[in-house]
Amino acid sequence: MSLLEAHDLSVSFGGIKAVRDVSFTVEPGEVFSIIGPNGAGKTTIFNLVSRFYEADSGGMAFDGMDITGAPPHRIAELGIARTFQNTELFEHESVLTNLLIAHHVHRRTNLVTDLLFLPGARRQELDFRRRVEDVIDLLDLQSYREQPIGGLPYGARKMVEIARALCLEPKLLLLDEPSSGLNPEETEDLSFWIEDIVAELGITVAMVEHDMNLVATVSDRVMAMADGAELATGDPTEIQNHPDVLRAYLGD
Amino acid sequence: MPVNESRGFGKPRMIPRVFACGTRRAHTTLEILQLLIIGISQGCVYGLIALGFVLIYKATEMVNFAQGDMMMLGAFIAFSLIEAFDWLFAFVPVLAGLPGASFAFAFLGTLFVMAAFGVVLERAVLRPMIGEPPFAVLMLTIGLGFVLRAVAGAIWGNQPRALDSPFAGGTFDLGGLIVGYENVAIVVGTALLCGVLYLFFRFTRIGVAMQAASQNQLAAFYVGIPVKRVFALVWAISAAIAAAAGILVAPVNLIDPLMGFIGIKAFAAAIVGGFGSLPGAIVGGLLIGIAEPFVALHLPPGLSEVSAFVILLAMLVVRPQGIFPSLQQKKV
Amino acid sequence: MRFVLKTNYDQDVKVFLHNGQRFWYGLLALAVLLAPLVLDRFYLGEFAYLYIWAIAGVGLMLLVGYTGLVSLGHAAFLAIGAYAHAWLLTQGVPFVLSVPLATAFCAIIGYIVGLPALRMTGIYLAIATLAFERIAAWVIEHWESVTGGHFGMRVPDPMVFGMSLDGPVPFYYLCLGILGLSLFAALNLLRSPTGRAFIAVRDSEVSAQSMGINLARTKCTAFALSAAFTGLAGTLFSHRIGYLAPDAFTVQTSIQLLLMVVVGGLGSLQGVVYGAIFLGLLPQAIAIGRDVLPQWIGEIPGLEPGIFGAILVVFLIFEPLGIHGRWVKVRLWFDQFPLYRRATYKRQRSYLRTERVR
Repeated sequence: MSLLEAHDLSVSFGGIKAVRDVSFTVEPGEVFSIIGPNGAGKTTIFNLVSRFYEADSGGMAFDGMDITGAPPHRIAELGIARTFQNTELFEHESVLTNLLIAHHVHRRTNLVTDLLFLPGARRQELDFRRRVEDVIDLLDLQSYREQPIGGLPYGARKMVEIARALCLEPKLLLLDEPSSGLNPEETEDLSFWIEDIVAELGITVAMVEHDMNLVATVSDRVMAMADGAELATGDPTEIQNHPDVLRAYLGD
Repeated sequence: MPVNESRGFGKPRMIPRVFACGTRRAHTTLEILQLLIIGISQGCVYGLIALGFVLIYKATEMVNFAQGDMMMLGAFIAFSLIEAFDWLFAFVPVLAGLPGASFAFAFLGTLFVMAAFGVVLERAVLRPMIGEPPFAVLMLTIGLGFVLRAVAGAIWGNQPRALDSPFAGGTFDLGGLIVGYENVAIVVGTALLCGVLYLFFRFTRIGVAMQAASQNQLAAFYVGIPVKRVFALVWAISAAIAAAAGILVAPVNLIDPLMGFIGIKAFAAAIVGGFGSLPGAIVGGLLIGIAEPFVALHLPPGLSEVSAFVILLAMLVVRPQGIFPSLQQKKV
Repeated sequence: MRFVLKTNYDQDVKVFLHNGQRFWYGLLALAVLLAPLVLDRFYLGEFAYLYIWAIAGVGLMLLVGYTGLVSLGHAAFLAIGAYAHAWLLTQGVPFVLSVPLATAFCAIIGYIVGLPALRMTGIYLAIATLAFERIAAWVIEHWESVTGGHFGMRVPDPMVFGMSLDGPVPFYYLCLGILGLSLFAALNLLRSPTGRAFIAVRDSEVSAQSMGINLARTKCTAFALSAAFTGLAGTLFSHRIGYLAPDAFTVQTSIQLLLMVVVGGLGSLQGVVYGAIFLGLLPQAIAIGRDVLPQWIGEIPGLEPGIFGAILVVFLIFEPLGIHGRWVKVRLWFDQFPLYRRATYKRQRSYLRTERVR
């Protein structure tokens, strides 16, 4: 069974069809990439899956459960984490707090136990911190641990965002242009980390990406889009040589 | 720490004398018209103040909570200018006996003085706040309002004053329908101001530049629009509008340092209209202005004072974007 | 500069990071506990008043400083807490029961007020809460059978198990105790998921949602908690003034509350206390100033709010992080002397981001 299944998704904004009848599946354990020129509707698809946008038609199912009408916060509870194109971190807080916030979906305490900080709340807190440290170790973020996000360089923010998504302990990770703003070296590191995330943590990855090198290195399957519609889906080399894809990028 | 300024947002002093006979009987078309006229003229005042809010918000993304107090300041300045011109014109034979001469000069003078005040305010207090979160600016202008009130109190005292306006007191009698000159003046004045503003934004170079700056400050800056100067101009215009509102409302409503409190109702009007929409400001102002006298007549006493807020809350629940929506959702 | 080498995660969770902090806060606790031995009636009363403001400030800080929702209507919660408590006392409900009941009532009202907040941000919410405050004031003024309308109502003495807490010393300890508990509860909240959810909503709603945080519930919870703390302060406030009348709670009260958290420093609990001290000292300073300065200055109408306003303006322009922010900077300057960089805090801006995106 596919992990994420979307069929015939369409959405339009004020007469502009941003996404037109797009269907795709993400299989467990793979890296699935969406490529396409700017304005092709790639990020819109992520926003549809995150339920920030309401689809005009079509449906989505995650792990066999229909999520077409789920509220946005439910998506994270079900096990889909995401990052954002221009990073959306909690600016005034430290890296540590940012990562701890991601554990919200795993909370077992309620308002009253939190107010009194009962032993259960303390145990949970220690447990969260232990798990956060694991992620910090995995992505080598020790040096940024206590720093406020506001002062971090862009590359580090990108990594913190991925770390934060991992702290949700998701089944599916949506990466929206993870390499944008990174230098070639950092992008290379990123490709190793994506492979690690899939191999070691067993998390499925779907990403929107412009860097064809990165896409070709890590992806198992690629979907190419243009003008809101799907052009082709297949393995990276196949897509890179697909006539429709070449036309979309290079013109006739 | 309760500060001795405990008066709320004015007693029902906005409801003019026509209402003194507020008995509850079946009302005629004439009475409805009468209430409508009062409501419209009051609504125009709200609308004008709201216009000032919206102008500043659109162009600079700042919320000027002191707009009502700027109106108060404008009214006081007009009051002093009229006295000054009265004294001055006594020496000028041509103008000495001319009714309304000093009012007319004082009106123009006030607009000018307040526009200058707006520029100074922008330069000294608000420019350092560019880029700060809206909440900080909101708090800042609340503080500014308190300061303006204290300054006005120090200069003019706390006694309510009447503005010597040529519109004060007189009435038309249209077959039983009694219309005060001041009400006509408010409506005509508002219409004129709106017309002038429309032409300004539509056709002048700087007006178009202002629109551009309000859409996207950075982009406007890149295409060579002097954004800072535009901001100063926006503050000047909205201070002048506030002053005009103050002068127009003064005959209906005595001038005192706390008259600016109606600015809060005007704020409600701006939001009901759809914050960021200029026609919305006027429509929202009219809606709230018209509702008040009717509520005063038919519902429990005192409710007319909060009717603006009830309308606001109802609007926010039913249609938070206002009558003319202008905000968009954040993009990620 | 003190550097704490952390050896286990328990240290991150502790209230006090190291022994130095424990020492200074312990000294402070001792000082406020022993204060009644040296202070006279008047100053004890003023201190109790200051504690009441601080309790209300904790509530407002949770909302404004941590959740990023602005309320211009918190005077209403103060009033509702005070009136509900006074009414319950006149109905014969004992003090120990009436305080939590009034607090809970405020929480419920706060939750309801928070409901439309879900669809509003920034100024919309500020103005909606202002509207709520006006309407609440209207209800209090006109619901004469309960509130006494314009004539107000007398507040019965606080009696706990047959003992009156009305004297200056017991009332001082009552306020101090409740402030201590409030601060502790707020601290607990901020080191657990609920408080972090508030912070997440403040810094990025989009991100908070994608972290699985239910915006509606979090905002309403924040409102309810904030209203509860402020209502709790209201119950004490009613005893402090002894006689409730509608003009004790105005928009100006709301704005003073906001002033307190802004001047104190948004996003810090210490800021609440600094703000309360500031707000408590200012009228005294103005009273002294009146004696010294020429008479006409003292007679300016609206002088006191004018000075409040001016101070607010000065703080927002020159020190948006408030007294606490200034203190942190000064401490850092000494810690790092002579290496302090002027630009250390340059990038940091206060909370609430624009809601207008084009």
